[in-house]
Amino acid sequence: MGMDRTISNFIRALRNAEVRVSTAETLDAISAVELVGYSDKAHLKRSLSMVLPKTADEKETFDACFDNFFRFQDVRGDASADANPEQGEQEGEESGEGGDGEGGGAGGDPQMQNKGKKKSKSKAKQNNLYEEEEEADLGPGEIAEANSHLGKLLMSDSRVELAQSMAEAGEATNVREIQIFTQKGLYARRIMDHMGLPDLNREISDLRVDSRVPARRLGQQLKQRRDFLREQVRDYVEQQFMLNADVSGKRLREEMLRSVKLSNVEHRNFRLIQEMVYKMAKKLSTLHSRRRKVFKRGQLNVPKTLRNNMSYDGAIFDLYWKSVKVDRPKVFAICDVSGSVANYARFMLMFLYSMDEVMPKVRSFAFSSDLAEVTELFNRNKIEDAIAKTLHDYSGGSTDYGQALLDFKKLCLDDVDNRTTIIILGDARNNHGEAHAEVLRELYDRSKRVIWLNPEAKLAWNTGDSEMRKYGAYSHQVEECNSLMHLERVVSNLLRQTN
Amino acid sequence: MGDIEKLAESVASLQASFEAHRYICSDEIATAVFLAYQLRKPILIEGPPGVGKTELAKTAAEMFALPLIRLQCYEGLDESKAIYEWKYGKQLLYTQVLKEALNEVLGDAKGFRESVQQLHNFGDIFFSEEFLEPRPLMKALKEEDGCILLIDEIDKADHEFESLLLEILSDYQLSIPEIGTIKAAAEPPLVFLTSNNTREISDALKRRCLHLYIPFPDLDIEQRIIGARVPEIPPALQKQLVAFIHELRNLDLKKMPAISETIDWARTLVLLHAEALDPNMVKDTLNVILKFQEDIDNVKSEVPALTAKVSG
Repeated sequence: MGMDRTISNFIRALRNAEVRVSTAETLDAISAVELVGYSDKAHLKRSLSMVLPKTADEKETFDACFDNFFRFQDVRGDASADANPEQGEQEGEESGEGGDGEGGGAGGDPQMQNKGKKKSKSKAKQNNLYEEEEEADLGPGEIAEANSHLGKLLMSDSRVELAQSMAEAGEATNVREIQIFTQKGLYARRIMDHMGLPDLNREISDLRVDSRVPARRLGQQLKQRRDFLREQVRDYVEQQFMLNADVSGKRLREEMLRSVKLSNVEHRNFRLIQEMVYKMAKKLSTLHSRRRKVFKRGQLNVPKTLRNNMSYDGAIFDLYWKSVKVDRPKVFAICDVSGSVANYARFMLMFLYSMDEVMPKVRSFAFSSDLAEVTELFNRNKIEDAIAKTLHDYSGGSTDYGQALLDFKKLCLDDVDNRTTIIILGDARNNHGEAHAEVLRELYDRSKRVIWLNPEAKLAWNTGDSEMRKYGAYSHQVEECNSLMHLERVVSNLLRQTN
Repeated sequence: MGDIEKLAESVASLQASFEAHRYICSDEIATAVFLAYQLRKPILIEGPPGVGKTELAKTAAEMFALPLIRLQCYEGLDESKAIYEWKYGKQLLYTQVLKEALNEVLGDAKGFRESVQQLHNFGDIFFSEEFLEPRPLMKALKEEDGCILLIDEIDKADHEFESLLLEILSDYQLSIPEIGTIKAAAEPPLVFLTSNNTREISDALKRRCLHLYIPFPDLDIEQRIIGARVPEIPPALQKQLVAFIHELRNLDLKKMPAISETIDWARTLVLLHAEALDPNMVKDTLNVILKFQEDIDNVKSEVPALTAKVSG
């Protein structure tokens, strides 16, 4: 039970670090831990790394997470391990329980456990917490009743309630939102305050100057327990920090980046965006790679036909065909890479090429004034390098959509057929040049779809030198596209329609 | 069976036993087999080609003295090739034969209802195990004393096929509509799946398996592998050769040389009576380790420097 708790806390940390762990895998992890135990950490790590993370990326995250998590567990375990190994193990587990109040320890007899725990603790710490102030040894004997709420709680020896109260305080002070390391002290203090530390402090200082021995005895006890509690709270915050920090920050940033205009993305966020693009592309890939159709043509499936016609006395009524795989969409992407739209082109290319599993036939073209095919560049280089090179090589010059369309026609009009989807990304601002919309019309007639993605807000279309009206007439679909969210929608639709 | 249990008792004993079967494995690999056996879970093995994924299953079969049932995956593989197939020819033949004897079958049945009843009792026979042709997956379930089931290159099969595997992987059973559920014998098979990562395996399948990634081995392990596989190799050559391969893996190549290539190369050089790496001999035998002309051309100019480096 306690063992499960450590492991389930670890899994929570993993999930926070974006390793997907299912319930079934959690159960596997528990059986694996039962099998290998906690004693050999390298062995434990190897074992869990086969049960929990299932991709190379996840394994990397797992390694970091494991080292982090179990280093912390170790420190906690060691503090008491030398006093009593058995107890030590239990304590190690219990350090993890803070998160859920109801969990406090493995049922049984909390009092007993509590005493054992305190004993081992004080032994390990040489009792210095209250010896350094050289208090008079008041000896055992009658002890006064605590008055403050927290004091009562501390004296009641109820770990469960104490843990619960700590968790409640944690909840109330939003400890989950802890972001950076230096906030730990702050949160620990807030939690203590919320649990009623000021009252307790007042009570303690009152008690210490009290003339009655039982009261002073209580004061000592409370002080000792308060210090112990402080340590527990610190551990609790530490745990919460590990579980929640960084991740929530990242999630927030991701949430924000999804809808922010791509041209406004700062350079330092490129990496994160890239990760997100991959993630979104991966999601779309798995969503769409499954869809297949059975065509009513192809090769006859003889066994299946015979088998299914047996009920007709061997006479063949129904024919069964070997299913034919559906064509992957054939996509031509034409990107304006001039200054104003370069960033959009960057992310769209990134998106398209991250999906090579479901869209292996992407050909891409870049232009600002003249147009050239950059497919080869992407086939030979890593996506990021190819994009950087494309932007570098083609982004000079003033935008000329007419020329770009003419170039495209010359280059590969013959390759455009009724299975081709042409995506054009650009603001259609032609610098008052010749639009050559008739070329687009030709493409419109020949291809399956022409999709025009315009990064400008709809209101700005058709103003100034924008030729959106002319081009829009010869596009099957015109979309405003300037954030990852838009991009995801467009690509998803693309796959849906081609399948 | 007792032997197997003893073998699979600890990671160390597994490792030693693998080594005795000339398969040098890292702690990770041994742990994976250990867990797979103890937890009764399939292992999904991923890694670059030629690092010994398939070999692991084969060696495990040899080591546990269990039969190896292998299912090679390819595009279009379906249940009739992987699980079972009705012997439809036999079924047809029997139908024809029975047509003549229909009267006898129906006997003195009176009325339509009774005739159908008679036929019904009879008809079920056509879909019994008698007419069933078991394919690898079902064969594996029927092995009384357990077996090693190797599902090779699962990434080559279609997505649908993965779903087909889910039942056998999680519950060691198969459902056949006409017959019912076939459960594994007392000892379920130990399942190895391999993938070269040409595409992502679905999460559902991954969830049901332990996941083992076999990378290219480190210097020490690869030395030992060569020692085990090509025992006649001179020690100096063995050292240089493995170091050379590791240098190659640091270069930007279209296809990295894998362990299988290292072994082939070691055998080649032993045949040529080489005692140590010599630049000319390396150049002549590059085609054993590099499979693209482009790579060979690129590496050729580097050979003297690399040879000097690993001999030094």
